[in-house]
Amino acid sequence: MTESAAAGLHPQPAASPEAVAPTKIQVNDLHFYYNGFHALKGISMAIPEKKVTAIIGPSGCGKSTLLRIFNRIYAIYPKLEARGEVILDGENVLDSKYSMNRLRSKVGMVFQKPVPFPMTIFENVAYGIRHHEKLSRADMDVRVEKALRDAALWDEVKDKLKQNALGLSGGQQQRLCIARAIALRPEVLLLDEPTSALDPIATGRIEQLVEELKSQFTIVIVTHNMQQAARCSDLTAFMYMGELIEFDGTEKIFTKPSKKQTEDYITGRFG
Amino acid sequence: MSSAPDALATRATGDQRNHRDARHDRWFRWLLMCCALLVLASLLGAAGATLWGGRHAFATFGWHFLVSSEWDPGNDVYGALVPVYGTIATSLIALIIAVPVSFGIALYLSEVAPPWLRTPVASAIELLAGIPSIIYGMWGLFIFAPFFSEHIKPWLTSYLGDSPDDGKVSWLAAHVPFVGKLFASNYPFGASVLTAGIVLAIMIIPFISSVMREVFQTVPTRLKESAYALGSSTWEVMWDIVLPYTRSAVIGGVFLGLGRALGETMAVTFVLGNAMDLSASLLDPGASIASTIANQFSEAVGLQKSTLMALAFLLFVVTFVVLLIARLMLAQLKKREGV
Repeated sequence: MTESAAAGLHPQPAASPEAVAPTKIQVNDLHFYYNGFHALKGISMAIPEKKVTAIIGPSGCGKSTLLRIFNRIYAIYPKLEARGEVILDGENVLDSKYSMNRLRSKVGMVFQKPVPFPMTIFENVAYGIRHHEKLSRADMDVRVEKALRDAALWDEVKDKLKQNALGLSGGQQQRLCIARAIALRPEVLLLDEPTSALDPIATGRIEQLVEELKSQFTIVIVTHNMQQAARCSDLTAFMYMGELIEFDGTEKIFTKPSKKQTEDYITGRFG
Repeated sequence: MSSAPDALATRATGDQRNHRDARHDRWFRWLLMCCALLVLASLLGAAGATLWGGRHAFATFGWHFLVSSEWDPGNDVYGALVPVYGTIATSLIALIIAVPVSFGIALYLSEVAPPWLRTPVASAIELLAGIPSIIYGMWGLFIFAPFFSEHIKPWLTSYLGDSPDDGKVSWLAAHVPFVGKLFASNYPFGASVLTAGIVLAIMIIPFISSVMREVFQTVPTRLKESAYALGSSTWEVMWDIVLPYTRSAVIGGVFLGLGRALGETMAVTFVLGNAMDLSASLLDPGASIASTIANQFSEAVGLQKSTLMALAFLLFVVTFVVLLIARLMLAQLKKREGV
């Protein structure tokens, strides 16, 4: 496991990447509870700007929960509670005064399964933009095209923008969801196991896309697949039972982790 | 080699079994088809029987039957316009009121309400759907109609009608076509087309809202979450995502309610007033197909009885046309969304 993971690793500079990039999201002593269950136990981490940060860990370790706090999507459900701080550009997004609309325009999210809206391909991308900006038709066309190009989907859909998005393949649908998220020009992009429902070829395209997008966005990706974390992230966080066990440069995590639990997990001894 | 005969025997029993299974499957398919055909047969039978029963009326009045508002049992002259208009008008009013209210109920119960409140309210709605229509009729006649004529009707006539008691015609009545006529009051009763429409709305709200609630719950959580993640409000998620996603089922629920409203007999008979006059005003009494049949069937003989049969056939036609329009609407919507 370690070997194959290490084999997929990009060669990286010796200096750890978090040392050079400024912090985009600072998480301080974050706790999360649902129905009384203590799901996250005092997470603190600094997510650097314009890097890909992967969160790995066994099922139920809280990695998706953590991701879902960053854009407060958990708040649409009752009885969920987050305590602590998530500082995005100097402001605590958990503060009830932080506008939900503003947060969602700064932090985009892509979910496990591709979920196009029941509308045309064009409308799928334009839909989110309309919530935040009033654009003329021509401007909207430009924005939608840019988003689809950035999501490496434009060439495949440019002749069928008026068709229903449900007619696309799974991989195309997921890239459409990415286009939809980046069309809002967010600063942070959250990817919650974005390839778990895709075949290897579609997965490869998404990973390539992540590589291309990190020059523009701070990307946080939750993944089940350790090779994926090794292949496309700069930093990796390992979580277990609601705690952050280790957070470091991806190469270090996968070659010489400093914690025993991390090593056990990435060598496949549990999880 | 002793196994060869065994194998042959197994194959023989296997063949037998295959034959038997095939035969059973044939019977089973045939039985199922009979069940399904029963529906078609009863539909055609009912349509045929009413058409046959109404043949004298159709033969006597011809196409005139559809456009005449005359109803004169003394001279045996009948036209279907009043009951057909009454049926459509009361049902339309019911829909106009019931659809938005049901949407609100379903939206509240599936998205907004705290979990402990959802189940009791949903059960209450289902209980409401089970109340016999005669009870709604009684409530309409004894409680709602008097209340309507005392409190709601005067307000409507003075603010929307073209013949208010104080003689001051409102701006709306004077400038918007038809409004004045729709809310003119010519009779002092509570029973009217509007009363019947409101009672019908109350009757069909449980149907429409429980269908809507159920289909809203089938929308995948991740679809709603994706919309919230783009900054949509609850209203936008409902209107832009949930409603289009469940569109055909929602329209199905609306037309289920409409079907019930079109054919509803007892409640409407009580509160519609049963006047065989054509009036533009919604505040005047009228008649629906079902209420006319219910009122007159026991005494009708000869041509009048045939006319009532013909009316029953028209109700079939009206319902059929309504369903057809629903289908066309769905097809149109689908085309617009590029499916």
